[in-house]
Amino acid sequence: MQMDDYSRLSAVSEMICDHISLDGIDPFMQATGIFRADWQAIEPREFEGEVFAVDGSNAPLCNWSTASVNLIRAGYAVYRGREWQRTVITFEDLFMADEKLIESMFNPFLEEFFGLSGAAFKESDLERLSSYYREMQEYIAIDDALDHAKAGDLILYDGSFEVFEPLRGAVASIFTKAENRGVDLLAVAKSSSLSWGEGISLPFVPHAGLAGSLLLPGSAWYISLKDKMVDAGQGRWNGEAFVVRFCGQSHHAFRVDAPAYLAPDIRPALQKAAAYSCSAECMGYPHALFRAHRDIRIAEPERAAARRRLIASLAERGMSSLQINMLMLDFHDILEMRPSF
Amino acid sequence: MAEETGGSTPGRAADLLNRKVLEKRDTAYRIVSRNVSEYHFIVPFDLSSDDRVEVGQIFSIQDGSMTYLARVLNIEHSSNYDGHWDTTVRGTQFFDRDQIFNRVIAEPLGCIEGKSGFKKSRTLPSKFAPVARAEREQFGFLTEVMGDIEVGYLRNGSRLVEDIPVALHSSAMDHHMGVFATTGMGKSNFMKVFAASCMRLSVRGDSKFGLLVVDPHGEYLKGKNLIKGLTHLKRYREGLSCYSTDRRNASDPGVEELGISLSEIFPEDIALLYDWSPPQKDALDAISRIFDPARWLEDIQTPEGMARMMAEGFRDSTVMVLIRRIRTELDRNPYVGRRSSLANILANLQKGKVVLVDIPRMSERSELFLLSVISRYILDEYKKDASDEQERKNCLITIEEAQRVLGSGSSTTRFESIAREGRKFGVGLCAVTQQPKLIEKQLLSQFNTLVVMGLGDRNDRQQLEESAKQDLSSMDIEIQTLEKGEAVISTLGIPFPVPARIHRYEDYLHRLEKEDKPQGLISRGGFKPFAD
Repeated sequence: MQMDDYSRLSAVSEMICDHISLDGIDPFMQATGIFRADWQAIEPREFEGEVFAVDGSNAPLCNWSTASVNLIRAGYAVYRGREWQRTVITFEDLFMADEKLIESMFNPFLEEFFGLSGAAFKESDLERLSSYYREMQEYIAIDDALDHAKAGDLILYDGSFEVFEPLRGAVASIFTKAENRGVDLLAVAKSSSLSWGEGISLPFVPHAGLAGSLLLPGSAWYISLKDKMVDAGQGRWNGEAFVVRFCGQSHHAFRVDAPAYLAPDIRPALQKAAAYSCSAECMGYPHALFRAHRDIRIAEPERAAARRRLIASLAERGMSSLQINMLMLDFHDILEMRPSF
Repeated sequence: MAEETGGSTPGRAADLLNRKVLEKRDTAYRIVSRNVSEYHFIVPFDLSSDDRVEVGQIFSIQDGSMTYLARVLNIEHSSNYDGHWDTTVRGTQFFDRDQIFNRVIAEPLGCIEGKSGFKKSRTLPSKFAPVARAEREQFGFLTEVMGDIEVGYLRNGSRLVEDIPVALHSSAMDHHMGVFATTGMGKSNFMKVFAASCMRLSVRGDSKFGLLVVDPHGEYLKGKNLIKGLTHLKRYREGLSCYSTDRRNASDPGVEELGISLSEIFPEDIALLYDWSPPQKDALDAISRIFDPARWLEDIQTPEGMARMMAEGFRDSTVMVLIRRIRTELDRNPYVGRRSSLANILANLQKGKVVLVDIPRMSERSELFLLSVISRYILDEYKKDASDEQERKNCLITIEEAQRVLGSGSSTTRFESIAREGRKFGVGLCAVTQQPKLIEKQLLSQFNTLVVMGLGDRNDRQQLEESAKQDLSSMDIEIQTLEKGEAVISTLGIPFPVPARIHRYEDYLHRLEKEDKPQGLISRGGFKPFAD
């Protein structure tokens, strides 16, 4: 079959063009209520303090429909200027996702680190449960970073503060701690579902980035989404969302969330972040987050090794190979003719 | 990576977390791969010149109670990133210098476990086991396996490990030794250091073999161009017997004028000097049948002698060529006459002395002739005495430019026979050459001690690698990059090819002269370090 044989190819291509292309910035500004003056240039400003970049990683080991086991890791990388100082792993362990065990898995952490008790979880999707658990561990990593940060330091979190409702208390606790310590805290999301337009859902952050490139070429910039016609969940998590281009040499823009205590005067925090976002390794993205991602991610060999250790442990406990096979087998391995274990 | 069970996270929180901190320096100098036969570890790419890693350096890897030793084979640029970023201007804007590094590829030498000594390793160190430059402590076991003929110090890369002298075993010398180096890399210096150590052993009564050195360049006796000779080692001068064809040198006390009697020259000594036609070869072979072996050289030159040869069916032109060439050689070698030094030479060798035959300005052909006569005499005498070998020391015969007589196309079998069967009678060869590729591979494989001092020619290195008893193939780059005076020594009794820096002869001489009194050997071998 050739591409031309797809009957809907041209129609889909047309729709993609409609989604991605931006025919002039005026329609975008009219629809979103953003004005040219809303684009604020950022002068990168180096500082003496440290940048903490928090990230997490989640690798599925096995899944038997009613429950699953994932390897979770969370932590942060610390920089002083361009110099990496250390990477701290705050959590690295297995998480068993089972709807009926949720509270016993989450509550000890929520109570211990954020003083939250009786958080109510209603989630049956195992993948989401694992993601929430990883997010909770990331908040604990932020909490740990706050314990080691000094006033004026910057903490960057890979993600968004617009979170799963039962974890909002944890985020609120972190905001309070960060404010009390005088630490700048920002969440930087590499992807965002923010959209604009009435007929079809147009991607907001990329289009804001294209518009910014035209208005402030060669410059880092930011726009506040407060009171704009974009639903960024403001009000639900006690903070504000921004779109930021950290490096004038890059065309990539990111959604950035800031707690309410920081949002009114966000410029100094963005200046600090922009000063270290033009590395050769990852142009346009805060370099500390790049390093945190690489240091904390669970690579495939690690996942495979954890899986082997789990199998060995099950065998030691007397599980038969038939049982282990049933537990560990992903039928896709058979369909793809891959060796499973 | 440091694990923090408590740290700043108190009580129950610490139990819930498993906090680990990875800091600068934590990733370098740790084993990251690869298998039992090859270890990899990384080092910062911008090390200072003092800390820079070099091919040939030996590193130790501590893994529990085991200490592994590994020698650097190669160093590669590497990083944790894919792609070709380093060829663009972006390479100048990298933040994470720790992610760009040099990958060191090392060959395992073996391991030490507790007091059980050194052994080959059948396993590999744990992943991330720490790696450090091996120091005296890790090399300590080598002092136990070194021999008694000191030639230099252990070298780790360019650094000397002065506490560990490198010494060959006397007992390995009848298994033949090869000294290989291109011009100017220190062959003569090595031989003088080697001879000085042998003189020392002789005077101390510890010698186990006599060393014969035939010197066509006149540099061993008194030295040359401000470089000192063996006679300058006054403290151990008694361990040296000198013979010279140079009247002026021979006038010195302690140097005897060399003499070889006509009766000690055999037709085969003449045979190796020229290319002969088949009839000429037949005529040479017939000589020992036709003439009295003790007088053949004189008899064949007389009209009667010529007539006897022709009576055997040889044409006059054939016999004339023989006689002409014999006369040429006798004219060229005026030391051939009535008097003979051979018995003395033999006696001194059997006493375990260093015997230096000084033949300055002698032609290459005459040198070969003399070497042939002396070595044949020695081998014949050692064969006779083989039954009471307890009475005499073994013997090591040095051949300079050994490719002339041990090459695959060489016309003599004299030295080949020593290489092949000399060991049975306690006679070894010390072949010195800058072209090992020209030495017959089978003969080279008889050499159990190799002193390799820098060979630029790939074919030379390959020839040695294919013939060596110990695996030298992985050391190709190191041998190629050896500097003057540096050597890799592969020998019996020492478990791996040892990197060494050969003593500078003048320094060693100075050290030996300052010895107050004979000092005991450290266990089985090696000198105690001297405090200069």
